[in-house]
Amino acid sequence: MDMLKYSIRRLLQGLITVLLIATVVFLLMRMLPTDYYFTEEQQMKFTDEQKEAALAAAGLTDPIGEQLLDFYWDLLHLDFGESRRIQSGVAVVDVIGEKFTISMQMGVISLGISLVVGVLLGIGQTIGKDRLLDHIGTAYTVFVNAVPALVSYSLVLVIGSRIFGLPSVYSSRTNTALSMVLPTICISLSSIAGYALWTRRYMVDEITKDYIKLAKVKGLSTSQIMVRHVLRNAFVPLAQYLPASFLLTISGSLLAERFFSVPGMGPLLTDAISRYDLNIVQTLVILYGSLGVLGVFLGDVLMMLIDPRISLTGKGGGAR
Amino acid sequence: MKNSVKRLLALATASAMLVGSLSACGSSSTDSTDDTTSSGASSGSSTTSETGDTGDSSATGAVAASEINIDTSEDAIQDLVLYETTAREVESLNVLYSQSATDFYVSTNLQDGLLTNDEYGNLKANLAESWEHNEDSTVWTFYLRQDAYWVDANGEVMGQITAEDFVTGLEWVLNAYKNEASNTSMPIEMIEGASEYYEMTAAMTEEEALALTTEDFLEVVGISTPDEYTVEYTMLASKPYFDTVATYACLYPAPTALLNQLTEESDIATAVETFRTSSYTDMWYSGPYILTYFVSKSEKVFEPNPYWWGNDEYTRFNSVTVKMVDSADVAYTLYESGDIDQVDLTESNLTTIYNAGEGSTWYDYLTEKLPTKYSYQIHFCYNKNTEDGEPDVNWNTAVANENFRLALYYGLDLSNWYKRTNAINPLKCENNCYTMSGLIYTSDGTDYTTLVKDLLGLGDYDGESVVRLDSSLAEQYKEAAMEELSALGVTFPVEIDYYISSASSTAQDSADVLKDAISDSLGDDFVVLNIKTYTSSLSTEVRTPKLASIYINGWGADYGDPQNYLGQETFGNDNAYYSAVYSDINDFYGEDGEEPYSEELIATYEEYTALVEAADAIVDDLDARYEAYAEAEAYLIQHALVIPCYYDISWQLTCVNDYSKINAPYGIQNNRYLNWETNKNGYTTADYEEFAAAYESGNTAE
Amino acid sequence: MSDENVKTVTTEETVNEDELFHFVPYSAEKAEAIGYSDYSYWGSVWKNFLKNKVAVTLAILFIALFIFSFIALAIGKYDFSELKTDTTMAFISPNGEYWFGTDNLGRDYWCQVWYASQTSIKLAAIVAVGECALGVTIGLIWGYIRSADRFFTELYNLINNIPTIIYMTLIALLVGRTFTIMAVSLILIGWLTMARNVRNLVIMYRDREYNLASRCLGTPLGRILTKNILPYLISVIILRLSLSIPGTISMESTLSYLGLGLGDDTPSLGILLRDARNYFLNYPYLLIFPAVIVSIITVTFYLVGNAFSDAADPRNHV
Repeated sequence: MDMLKYSIRRLLQGLITVLLIATVVFLLMRMLPTDYYFTEEQQMKFTDEQKEAALAAAGLTDPIGEQLLDFYWDLLHLDFGESRRIQSGVAVVDVIGEKFTISMQMGVISLGISLVVGVLLGIGQTIGKDRLLDHIGTAYTVFVNAVPALVSYSLVLVIGSRIFGLPSVYSSRTNTALSMVLPTICISLSSIAGYALWTRRYMVDEITKDYIKLAKVKGLSTSQIMVRHVLRNAFVPLAQYLPASFLLTISGSLLAERFFSVPGMGPLLTDAISRYDLNIVQTLVILYGSLGVLGVFLGDVLMMLIDPRISLTGKGGGAR
Repeated sequence: MKNSVKRLLALATASAMLVGSLSACGSSSTDSTDDTTSSGASSGSSTTSETGDTGDSSATGAVAASEINIDTSEDAIQDLVLYETTAREVESLNVLYSQSATDFYVSTNLQDGLLTNDEYGNLKANLAESWEHNEDSTVWTFYLRQDAYWVDANGEVMGQITAEDFVTGLEWVLNAYKNEASNTSMPIEMIEGASEYYEMTAAMTEEEALALTTEDFLEVVGISTPDEYTVEYTMLASKPYFDTVATYACLYPAPTALLNQLTEESDIATAVETFRTSSYTDMWYSGPYILTYFVSKSEKVFEPNPYWWGNDEYTRFNSVTVKMVDSADVAYTLYESGDIDQVDLTESNLTTIYNAGEGSTWYDYLTEKLPTKYSYQIHFCYNKNTEDGEPDVNWNTAVANENFRLALYYGLDLSNWYKRTNAINPLKCENNCYTMSGLIYTSDGTDYTTLVKDLLGLGDYDGESVVRLDSSLAEQYKEAAMEELSALGVTFPVEIDYYISSASSTAQDSADVLKDAISDSLGDDFVVLNIKTYTSSLSTEVRTPKLASIYINGWGADYGDPQNYLGQETFGNDNAYYSAVYSDINDFYGEDGEEPYSEELIATYEEYTALVEAADAIVDDLDARYEAYAEAEAYLIQHALVIPCYYDISWQLTCVNDYSKINAPYGIQNNRYLNWETNKNGYTTADYEEFAAAYESGNTAE
Repeated sequence: MSDENVKTVTTEETVNEDELFHFVPYSAEKAEAIGYSDYSYWGSVWKNFLKNKVAVTLAILFIALFIFSFIALAIGKYDFSELKTDTTMAFISPNGEYWFGTDNLGRDYWCQVWYASQTSIKLAAIVAVGECALGVTIGLIWGYIRSADRFFTELYNLINNIPTIIYMTLIALLVGRTFTIMAVSLILIGWLTMARNVRNLVIMYRDREYNLASRCLGTPLGRILTKNILPYLISVIILRLSLSIPGTISMESTLSYLGLGLGDDTPSLGILLRDARNYFLNYPYLLIFPAVIVSIITVTFYLVGNAFSDAADPRNHV
């Protein structure tokens, strides 16, 4: 019962945060000069009256308070409006709907790969601490973090397309699966390193604890200790970030998607800002905000489920 | 009126059902060869009033889907794959609503207009099979073909295209609440009552404006339909070039039946919204292709429209796929792997291939493109401000001096800068005219720009030197300018503020080269170029606050008359685009009616404007008209009010013969995938040289 | 009093243990002296840090790199401010004349790379220090003053949940794109993480007994924050600081890629990388030189930061 109450309170708080974010972004975007509403070609041919007419038609000349109220009213009806320039006249929900599946597909596959590979690498590093595998793992982590993404993506592109003959451009119609290989690898590069790093870090922390010594004394096998005790405990802090990472795969990767011409969510936000496509910007911010808030909450819940010692409802409030 | 629509609809649907099965087998058996097409289908450019065989059958209402006419010769490509960069993705598919060239590149294949062009840019019958005008060119009549149909996304015939659809189309464009002012400029400039109708709707509420009927529209605007297949436009004044406007989006038809249907389904406001934003799956097509697949920023697939009237006249592709990629460099790798059939070469790719010589696989395949449709100029701003909003007196005084401008005109050697566009034949990019070449021809086939060049005393491209340069003259003008301007308190070097987009490293590189070119050819003691950047919008960030000293800008023709070019520079005219927002000569007197920087400059502009107006008044004799315009243009250039800058001629690797494409200097007819000659193995430099020679001789024969 | 007692005791006992112990005459001065160890916090940090050979080597390498960037510009054959474009000299591979080759416009790449390195390092350093100052200050207040917690948490959620790209676009459009604006805006966005880390630690240490004692003794707030709590935060602050530098460099390159970075007249490593991307397939050296420098900077700060933060943790000092 406590848990339910707590959840409702957390989610309501989250809702308020999201609303606040939406409002701030709404106001920020309206600080831009309205000329950004027009394409360069329209700028060329439109007279001032025509511009005024177009702005009025889109409701952008109303007082800001009125616009804000309209915005809330539409939000209440879950009406996110239409795209103006990304895909003129198409409902924002449809624009996003078409794109997010692509990003999410790649994101989820990449999350799966990096979890498996990263955690396994981390375990391997812990078991073989200060031996070859550990050094390879560390070198990989350092490499991925050190080399700018543009460079490592270029390497993946060259190796993948020249040596393995993989498609270097995303194709939505034919060979889709194959054309997703390289972008997915690129997205996974850094998250594998991240998971390996943290798994190793937490496991090494655990391994020196007294209860492990006890387990050894009790005669448990190394593999049992590693999996049942060390990994499980080390996984708790990792688990907190899992739901958020999963939900936010929807946002795609700006660089990787542009690099491989993937029609996903990654470049959408920047495109929408530069084209003054306000409805898309607002909807995206609301979407990412909500998913972020939800992800953190689910992360706390998941952490509690894995580790019964953690209580969210007790004194001290959220685990954030 | 209404009855006829219903009757047509019924007929069309019946016939569509009848032939639906036929079309299925028709399109599935594309590999069987059509004899007429395989033997050089694109060699002849047939013109005007041939109705063809299908005319008879359409009169009775039975529409037959013909077997698609595809070039099946051995080396020809049947499924063409092209690319575009993602920044050039379509924003709107509605041809009436859209105003951007990137959109028209797609929609020109999906919709037909009254007229089209051939590969030399001549007007050619399209939905109108013939056309005529009255004696003083104030009334233009277009006779429509009777075998043209609206087709839906599934390839089913929805009805015939009739004169009424053109009325609906123009009403749509001019109704402020329907088209939101898009594409209104040319009708307002030319058609009687268009301006009044637009103003009227703009002043109304949305409900009132949408409630206007066709009768209301016909009362105000100079368009009429003497019969079902005739459209007549009445001009504001004599417009001898109005037929060239008939290739542009503003005169395209709109499917009346679809709009009626949408209105019946809901209300008029929703119908308008739905039609304006209709997607590729629910729009009606009138053009040679149907868009069968479209994922934004990824891929588009065009497939032939089985009921298109022009099947016998044109070859089409079995399919055209357009892939969106991040950059031309990505496209290059795709071309290397054979995934696409054409790629524009970036500077680095071109240099690499060219320098490797025979060592590169692609060396023999480098082909030079035709110039784009834009004539680029260096435009001065005569009323520039500094960044703190004060008039930039130094620049304004300097640029108002004719000797200063002429020193730039004769002295500025841009050949290094041209290499950015065309590293192999940079001098081909030299432009010495204001109007685009290949746009207008006199009755004996002479290009209008030749008239201008003759008046200026300039020769043609010789491949060796910049034609315009004259260093001794430049030196004289420079000295004179420095002397005169120093007396007026101008400090040297005069700073030239030049703005480029911050997101573009290509623009940055070009600007760096330009800066060095200016410094090398004019001397650091005279002028110096300051490269500045804007983030998102040139007009908001630079043009409105008047921060730039010069702009390098290209103008593509909207219609085929010098007025479209020269009219933009006239003095005291709000509709003169460059005078109003670039050179800002119209505001030269300053806001408080201060003294102008130079009476002389104003006098020059007034003289030029008078010449243009005089030329525009000649409507009965086109040759005399062009002669007069050429004089005005020569005057503009001789006084260096603007400085002609360059043509965009770049290089590519391609499997498509560009000389077989429609080459329209105005309107939206370019990039229609019709009659394209292709070669699976790619064309070589030698092939292209041959094509160019054949094209030249064909052109003079016209 | 007790001193006198001791004296009396010692005078009574004597003899055998003379060799081991000897009497110290009473000295009022020494009696007043306070026990003292030669432990110095920064000294220990330094000593501990020096033990990490890899980190020390890298740190030296980085400092050498930074110094060399000045020397490189001085000894280079071309001066950055006087570079001339000449397309006939484009894409010359590194040789005796052009040590790093030439770029697509035939300009010497050597001086561009080193000039850009200086710009990037300067920007990253300024941002790191600014972030740190602002973040620590706000973090301390946020963590220590309970009534402020709610406000700052909401502020954090708000700012943190709005994509950075929106701020950067707005700033670029409305304010401009100079070095100073860039540095200030990155600081204004970057302090968040630092403040949050600091706040979490402050909450941990705030109510420790020694702080309660301090408060009871009436130690002023500023002194508690700076003398009692701050030392515990140093290792975390250093870690953040060291991660912020590579972070700024990569942020800057992404922003350049989007056209929101520094103006093109001040080339940074990000801009060089962005431009090189177009040519790397044909001319890999254009990508390699700036990439190697970025990598050196990143690895250095990553490892040096870790080593330094370990060294800075007082629990590791003996």
